[in-house]
Amino acid sequence: MSIKVLIVEDNPVARGFLCRVVRDSFSDTILITEAGDLESARRHVRAAGDPNAGPAPDAFKLFMVDLELPDGNGMELLSELARYPATKIVTTLYSDDDHLFPALQRGADGYLLKEDRFEVLVEELQKIVRGQPPLSPAIARRLLTHFRHGAGAKESDFAPMSAFQSSKPAYVERGAPLDHERLTPRESEVLTYLSKGFTIKEIANLMGIKWFTVNDHIKSIYKKLNVSSRAEAAVLASKQGLV
Amino acid sequence: MDSAAPASRQDPSSAVRRAGFSSTVAPESSFDSQLLESVLPDVRSDVRWMGWRLRLLVGVALAGCVALFVLARMLAEPHYIDAAWRANGQGQIELKHSDIPTLQNLQGRVLKGIIAGKSEIAFDDALLLQRSARWLESDDDRERHRALHTQLSSALTQDKIKLVFSDGTVAEVKPQMRGYAGLGAMFFVLCALALVLYLIAMVVLLARPSTRNMVYALMALCQTGNLLFIAVESSLGLGLPANLPSWDMHSRTAFDLLTAAAIVHATTVHPRALPHGGGLALGAWSGAALLCMLSFAGQLPHAWWWTQAAMIVLALLAIALLSWSYRIEPHPYAIMLRRFGIVATSTLALLTLAVASAGSQPSLQYTIASIGSVIWYVFFASVLLLVPFLSRSHQVMREFSLLAAISTVATSLDLLFVAVFSLGQFASLTLSLFLALGVYAGARQWLLNQVLGSSVLTTERMFEQLYRIAREVEARPENTARQLADLLRDLFEPLEVLVVDKLSSEARVVAHGSTLLVPVPEMSAQPDAPPRAQSIVVRFARRGRRLFTLEDARLTDRIVEQLRRAVAFDKAVEQGRSEERLRLAQDLHDDIGARLLTLMYKAQSPEMEDYVRHTLQDLKTLTRGLAAPNHRLSHAAAEWKADLTQRLSAARCTLEWSVEFDDDMVLTVVQWSALTRVLRELVSNAISHAQATRVSIELRLENDQLDLMVSDNGMGRNPQAWSHGLGLGGVRKRVKQLGGEVEWVELAPQGIGCRVRIRELSQRH
Repeated sequence: MSIKVLIVEDNPVARGFLCRVVRDSFSDTILITEAGDLESARRHVRAAGDPNAGPAPDAFKLFMVDLELPDGNGMELLSELARYPATKIVTTLYSDDDHLFPALQRGADGYLLKEDRFEVLVEELQKIVRGQPPLSPAIARRLLTHFRHGAGAKESDFAPMSAFQSSKPAYVERGAPLDHERLTPRESEVLTYLSKGFTIKEIANLMGIKWFTVNDHIKSIYKKLNVSSRAEAAVLASKQGLV
Repeated sequence: MDSAAPASRQDPSSAVRRAGFSSTVAPESSFDSQLLESVLPDVRSDVRWMGWRLRLLVGVALAGCVALFVLARMLAEPHYIDAAWRANGQGQIELKHSDIPTLQNLQGRVLKGIIAGKSEIAFDDALLLQRSARWLESDDDRERHRALHTQLSSALTQDKIKLVFSDGTVAEVKPQMRGYAGLGAMFFVLCALALVLYLIAMVVLLARPSTRNMVYALMALCQTGNLLFIAVESSLGLGLPANLPSWDMHSRTAFDLLTAAAIVHATTVHPRALPHGGGLALGAWSGAALLCMLSFAGQLPHAWWWTQAAMIVLALLAIALLSWSYRIEPHPYAIMLRRFGIVATSTLALLTLAVASAGSQPSLQYTIASIGSVIWYVFFASVLLLVPFLSRSHQVMREFSLLAAISTVATSLDLLFVAVFSLGQFASLTLSLFLALGVYAGARQWLLNQVLGSSVLTTERMFEQLYRIAREVEARPENTARQLADLLRDLFEPLEVLVVDKLSSEARVVAHGSTLLVPVPEMSAQPDAPPRAQSIVVRFARRGRRLFTLEDARLTDRIVEQLRRAVAFDKAVEQGRSEERLRLAQDLHDDIGARLLTLMYKAQSPEMEDYVRHTLQDLKTLTRGLAAPNHRLSHAAAEWKADLTQRLSAARCTLEWSVEFDDDMVLTVVQWSALTRVLRELVSNAISHAQATRVSIELRLENDQLDLMVSDNGMGRNPQAWSHGLGLGGVRKRVKQLGGEVEWVELAPQGIGCRVRIRELSQRH
């Protein structure tokens, strides 16, 4: 059975390059759909059917979404795909946390920096799909602040770079953090090390655990971020009378 | 609404004063905070002018006007001869001018006597023209003066009197009712001055009925009395109320002595309470009272001498007390008062001397005693008028210094010329006025500096300082108070600058001009930061030689406002710049970045691809730096490490990383991007040219000195011989930009080390 991949990228050269990266990364049969803007991406997603509604054999398994698109920001698509059971990867030139963190909050499972070498990209993509998402020190720092403030990360989290964002994530004031909004001490420790620039291997040594355990912690942190963000979005939506 | 307030509001300075009376005040209390606290609430508000005080003031003013009217009416009643007389050189009465037809062609004749019915009065000298009995030097003259006036007033009640002139001419005139017109312009001018002084005294008394204000009011009322007597006597001519001379003598002696005693009392309580002040005041009062009683009982021989001596002694005592007071607490008010005191006392002494020395020449004595004393009293009255407003305005002081300087010099010169050179009255007055104006014009600047204190800061320097402070305040809003205090220190040269936790809405002058209270503006960037109610207390301007005035307070308000504006402006500019940078960064990143990316994907060779990739990374560093102005060293180091680890691991190369710093400083854009690119370049070199398998990076920040050592185990050798290509040249350029130095060394057994050292990193921008 083939794996359906949707690549949303407006630059045809970059699109071709990403296609090669995807094909090189997996041994399975790959069925790549390309979209140049948000509009056609949405069309493709609709055509493939909603896997939440019932069995959809044509559903996409992997999304590669560029953030800067002609008709909007890739983050909009990520928000729409929040409940879509697939691996979602942000491909971008922006490597700073101010751009990546909101994407991760919207359910991205990882990010690829477009200027990296072909081999690096292939390796990174494989890692993400295997469940070893990247986590830069800046993003780790961001996560720490996010969870320390009871996941209700306020505006201040985004203030410094707000001009760079085309759509601002909305946050709501909430009471005490729920379980899924809190990090375990180990996860906090991992995040702290990551924020100081330690590699996963170094962290494993420092904490006296196996490197894949560190990786599990990172995955768990990603998940908590997604869940807490989705919960926030739901709260916000209900407040606005959308649901 | 305010009726209870004056009683309940504890006057803080009166507390200090009472302590002074019981002489328990500590000698060194001028700088203690307790006194300061007691000074601070001493704020005059307009509230007290509501209610009964205002009504009472209006009533008092009306009473004053009515009293003046009654006085004028009393004076208008008696009969008199409508003619102007003057004393000639021989000390005889000479007809100056008259509107009565029978006298019109007799101008210049000397009047020898008056025949009224059966009584005859002979005039041997011009004593009759002497206006004030108080200013007659000898007791005999005074007695004769009184007798002459008594005779004259009874003579004037006759229907017709005959004036006998020295050449034998006899003119018969009919004494008339004086009427209001006969009182003369001088009378009304002096009455107006007296009324103003009286009102000021009442205002001061009603504002706060404290000891100090009562003493002032007493002084002012005494001088009001003096002015009224002078006004009455100024309506020259034959014919005054019969017993005026004896009233004049007793009342004016009492007025003068009481004023002198009151001055001594005032100086013991103001500007600060003096130890043993109560005893001194009591001594002054009892001395003055004793002299008054003796004079009233007629038991005081040489009354004029006693009075003058007592006045001068008391005035000197007051000056000495002011000097003492200034030594205890450098209140500029003491200096100001002492200055006025010295001028008034020396002119009084001069006047006394002139009158005494002219005693042998009756006509001279007449001039000096009449004109000189009037000028002196008017001068003194205007000093009294001014005193309550000293700390209100520079303008008042400037105008007054002009008036005082000219009149003082003119009076002294006038008296000198008349007494010593026997010049004519008019000539000497003109000459002395002319000279006085010349002296004033020459010494004007010096005089103004003495009175006002020269401005220490030039405008230019002040602006410069203001904008420097604005920048510093913007960076550290918590230092606003300190910075502003420094500016005020330079502006006013005070003896003392304090920051207190007390809020005030605007700059205020308190404690009688010794203290300026300036609110510290809220400059904090965080709107939710708790507002810190702070004020700066500036005391004793110009090292205690200058009073704060309302103009100073307004100037300070304007400075604070300018500071606020400058900070707001700087913030707006900074925000505009950062928005501009963001926009620029975004454009660069989106447009150039996308093109470079396409170029990179289409690269013909791996070298070309790497080259474009580096360019793209440099662009990203640049735009990142533009967008985020500050990077904390620890954050930057973490990112460098993560970035380099990934890069080196892709090249199968290990990284040894060590970072130590004693201060997690905030790197500026330039520092951050320069260091980022230096690191990246050095690591690139190690990978691509030296083909190293291990790169070691040590970054150390100690005492503001940054040391960076990047060493590899590659095959590079002899760094001096390297051609400085784009990469190494870039490293040199960036390090130089940071004001540091860079050198490459060979390592044993193999490899190259690059050492970067930047001293005083925080000083570089």
